[in-house]
Amino acid sequence: MSKFIKEFTKGLWKDLPPFRLVLGLCPTLAVTKTADNGLGMGLAVIFVLTLSNFMVSLVRTSIPAKVRIACFIVIAASLVVAVELLMQAYAYPLYTQLGIFVPLIVVNCIILGRAEAFASKNPIHLAVADGLGMGIGFTLSLTFLGALRELLGSGTLFGAQITAEWFKPFGFMVEAPGAFVGLGLVLGGMNYFTNWQRRKQGKAAIDGPTHDCKTCGMCQGLGGK
Amino acid sequence: MIRPPKTLFTVSCPPHIHCGRTFNGLMLETILALMPAALLAVVTYGFPALRVMALSCSVAVLVEAACWKVMGRPQEVDNFNALLLGLIFSFLLPATAPWWLVTVGSAITIVLGKAIFGGLGGSPLNAALLSWASLHLSWPESMDIELNMLGSSFADPLAQLKHFGVEAVANIPLTDLLLGKQVAGLGVSHILALLVGGLYLLLRGRIRWHMPVSFLTGVLATATLFFLVEPGMHPSPLFHLATGTVIFGAFFLITDPSSSPVGRIPMLAFGFLAGALVMVVRVWGTHPDGVAFAILLANLLTPMLEKLRPKPFGLNISGDNHA
Repeated sequence: MSKFIKEFTKGLWKDLPPFRLVLGLCPTLAVTKTADNGLGMGLAVIFVLTLSNFMVSLVRTSIPAKVRIACFIVIAASLVVAVELLMQAYAYPLYTQLGIFVPLIVVNCIILGRAEAFASKNPIHLAVADGLGMGIGFTLSLTFLGALRELLGSGTLFGAQITAEWFKPFGFMVEAPGAFVGLGLVLGGMNYFTNWQRRKQGKAAIDGPTHDCKTCGMCQGLGGK
Repeated sequence: MIRPPKTLFTVSCPPHIHCGRTFNGLMLETILALMPAALLAVVTYGFPALRVMALSCSVAVLVEAACWKVMGRPQEVDNFNALLLGLIFSFLLPATAPWWLVTVGSAITIVLGKAIFGGLGGSPLNAALLSWASLHLSWPESMDIELNMLGSSFADPLAQLKHFGVEAVANIPLTDLLLGKQVAGLGVSHILALLVGGLYLLLRGRIRWHMPVSFLTGVLATATLFFLVEPGMHPSPLFHLATGTVIFGAFFLITDPSSSPVGRIPMLAFGFLAGALVMVVRVWGTHPDGVAFAILLANLLTPMLEKLRPKPFGLNISGDNHA
């Protein structure tokens, strides 16, 4: 049971998909214009990820290693079609908002990554815990980023006006460049928080990359190795 | 496993030219070169222009000091770079810009344009233009120069050209444009004052001639091309040189050391490309003045252009590369 909890909780902070593993950035950047969209996308991913982990783990001994990637994709694709049909039936406005990004869940790196790295090597209950944890972590991250962008960019939260009259929305944040800036700021904030936590525990802070010869790489063109 | 390349030659952050001159001196002289245009801006637009410039500069300096404090880095706000960035940013605004616009823009210039990339010499994009572009996307009506300067007795020639076609600007004499009888960002409309400042920097060797010259050549060549290919559809090439942010951009924006290439050929290519893009945005784009977007796009190509470099003496490049 403790293993189950460990696999479940690692997706919530330690291996948080978009912000720690930096996986699944395409939907993270594209659908987080509003908190609503982020939440809807996240729920679809929870569904697909948990079931795909479950099924991959179920058939993990009978899939030949050579064709495993194709099998994972087939499983993910079937589940995504199911999600798409469900959304069309019960959440049509959200479906039109998310558009092409619902079918694109098939090629979301998190689905394939968890299938390959975890579900194909672990028993069913752990695979489901991993899928649920990662999916919830992904949903929380997308909702957070969406809320941040929506709040700054349109002055609303989940569609409700919450800022004062005088606030002029910083529309840059709901445009495409705002997604990159928002993601970068969240990543920076998380690193800052981690280092603050480490310092409190008396550990050395993790240094970021420094601008020196190793990070520049310009001399590669000159034949440096 | 990617192995870092062996250290051949360490390239430190720009600016690279050292000859007993100090960085503070370079910044101060650039500010000095901007002074004629700043004075004329105050003369033309009066107190509001002074207010915008002062607010932008002070916010820039305060925000930078706060950034180094938060990031736990040595306090280097006294090198006048923040002051210069604040001044350059304020030059791009309409003189009637509200205080919150100036404050937010100036803070973005420093935080997103400079501090977040590691400070001096680290920013891949021109900080002032980055801020201008993000404000322009967010509050287009507050950044629209023509709309905010309706009280002025002059018009914005580029907006006239965009909205009313070439006939609207056909009768504006070139001398009027040169003497600043036009509306643009508060500091950029006085072409002659900017030329004086730019030539001062060139003669003192503070900026190199390659980028201004190739940028102006790029604008002129592309404008001439449009002028010749579609006669009667475009104003004269000299009109394009004397309007908008072109002269200011040529001497003060594309010469930003951290976002422009280093070598001679890269600098020439960089300037020409930016100049050509200005005309592309002006003719086919939705924005009246394309200088900011053109320079930002060219900034993005800087790392690629840096690859255009002479073959080092005594180094067998092809043999080493493909080994």
